[in-house]
Amino acid sequence: MGQYQAGYATALSSAASYGASRGGAPVVSFENVSKHYGNLHAVDGLTLDLRHGETVALLGPNGAGKSTSLDMLLALRKPTSGRIEMFGSDPYHAVKSGRVGAMLQSGGLMPEVTVRELVTLITKLHPKPEPVETTLTRAGIAQFADQRVDRLSGGQTQRVRFALAICGQSELIVLDEPTTAMDVETRRLFWSSMKEEVAEGRTLLFATHYLEEADQAADRILVINRGRLLADGTPAEIKQRAGAKRLSFKLDRVDEQFLLSLPGLVNLEVRHDLVQIQSSDSDATLYAVLNAGYRPREIEVGSLGLEQAFIAITAEDDATNGNAHAGETN
Amino acid sequence: MGGTLALTKAEISRLRRNKRYMIFTVALPVMFYLIFGKSKTTGYGVSFAAFYMVGMASFGAFSGAFNNNTIRISQERKDGWIRQLRLTPLPANAYVVAKVLTSMVTTVPSILIVFLLGRFYAHVQMPIWKWVVCAVAIWIGTLIFAALAVALGYKLNPDSVQPVTIVVFFFFSIFGGLWFPLSGALQKFAEFTPTYQIVKISTDVIGQGSVALVNVIGVVAWFAIFAVLATFAVRSTAETV
Repeated sequence: MGQYQAGYATALSSAASYGASRGGAPVVSFENVSKHYGNLHAVDGLTLDLRHGETVALLGPNGAGKSTSLDMLLALRKPTSGRIEMFGSDPYHAVKSGRVGAMLQSGGLMPEVTVRELVTLITKLHPKPEPVETTLTRAGIAQFADQRVDRLSGGQTQRVRFALAICGQSELIVLDEPTTAMDVETRRLFWSSMKEEVAEGRTLLFATHYLEEADQAADRILVINRGRLLADGTPAEIKQRAGAKRLSFKLDRVDEQFLLSLPGLVNLEVRHDLVQIQSSDSDATLYAVLNAGYRPREIEVGSLGLEQAFIAITAEDDATNGNAHAGETN
Repeated sequence: MGGTLALTKAEISRLRRNKRYMIFTVALPVMFYLIFGKSKTTGYGVSFAAFYMVGMASFGAFSGAFNNNTIRISQERKDGWIRQLRLTPLPANAYVVAKVLTSMVTTVPSILIVFLLGRFYAHVQMPIWKWVVCAVAIWIGTLIFAALAVALGYKLNPDSVQPVTIVVFFFFSIFGGLWFPLSGALQKFAEFTPTYQIVKISTDVIGQGSVALVNVIGVVAWFAIFAVLATFAVRSTAETV
């Protein structure tokens, strides 16, 4: 379990420093929250804070506990143990105060009314809402506002749900897999209107399968698997958390023995004069090359993709904890 | 409360567009009354025209509060609309309260139209206060069926709720004597049904100008039972809604 624990500690410390840099009371805090269904631990000791103005992606494979966590945050389910606070009160009262706008995968719409009627209804329920027409424009649903809700396509329905999440001008917006059923263009529009919301000082928490989205839209990523938090940090930190950066350069007289002895080296590939290295410390690796007197050309240093990082993190967790107690004897 | 009323208003405007709802709650009872309303027999000591007016008004009103609500609640639970509402500032009970209030409003036309037919088509004559008491008795009866609808709608999934609704409603309307006056053993049995009790309260008022306490107690007891069942159904499904 050694490696896993080391990684977990890094994740926690980076989360702590991240939170501290923003200051102020957390918008949301989970304190050792668990949700058990018999033997199934859907969420298992989740502890985290969200700060004002953050855009946070909740990333994890199917069944990782993302939806259950959001359900508990939104007072739809009660934790088996632990404590959730939102805006300094319990989730139910925070939701009822209108400070949260949410869009869930499992959320449905009232049939037999028009889009405008539905948005108007939900708008009226909020204490200081956005004007209905503004919401319709922002969500990109103005052009079919007079159509009946039950006659929309999947992507249109999704945008109406989004409208319901933003119509209250809530301080926190929670979205569960918001872009499912959207085509590429709609998805792009969606994120651009989401950025407007964030620019106005809202806090955004979204669960997603699309790593690319988490990478582009979020300034913080929470990786969860088996109901536990595995990593917490900026996209760059998460990528680093998987242990490696990409380093490549061209070198005429390649000495493989020397290259294999470089500090931080994880993986080495040499093709003719092209050297490709995966390193846990790309700076140290490069300095060692330079210090040995080599003058490589076309030096490139880059990150591993988030996808590789994500797979590495969850695969590591599955390997350590997948078999009963395998991790503890490791 | 403002939010709950806004939701109620939306529910009412939805129903007004629903043809099926209008057919079952207004067109059907009106049609039956036009066919049988002028029959020359009697029922429970009053003219058949008066009995059948009470029966058909109850049929329309109860079917509006029951059939329609069980199916909608079950479907809206499955679709996630109830979940969506729970994410808004609406109080937790708003959905159920709005459904019941909607039933109380939308069943008024069913009662009024059949009563107007009774007065002007079948020439039922009685003092104003009797008209009012009968209409109110039926109107309050819709509460019983709205409560039962909440209990079944929350507990049953959309596939099973339809047949169960039909069976339950036909049981109460036929064996409670909404379609024809009951006698003998059947009447003894019917005395325990809320439908019979409400019809009997009305016909007693029309015929004797008084009400049997046992029927009033019956109506209150049924409402209490169904309201408790509804509360349990809503609470027990809170995490799966």
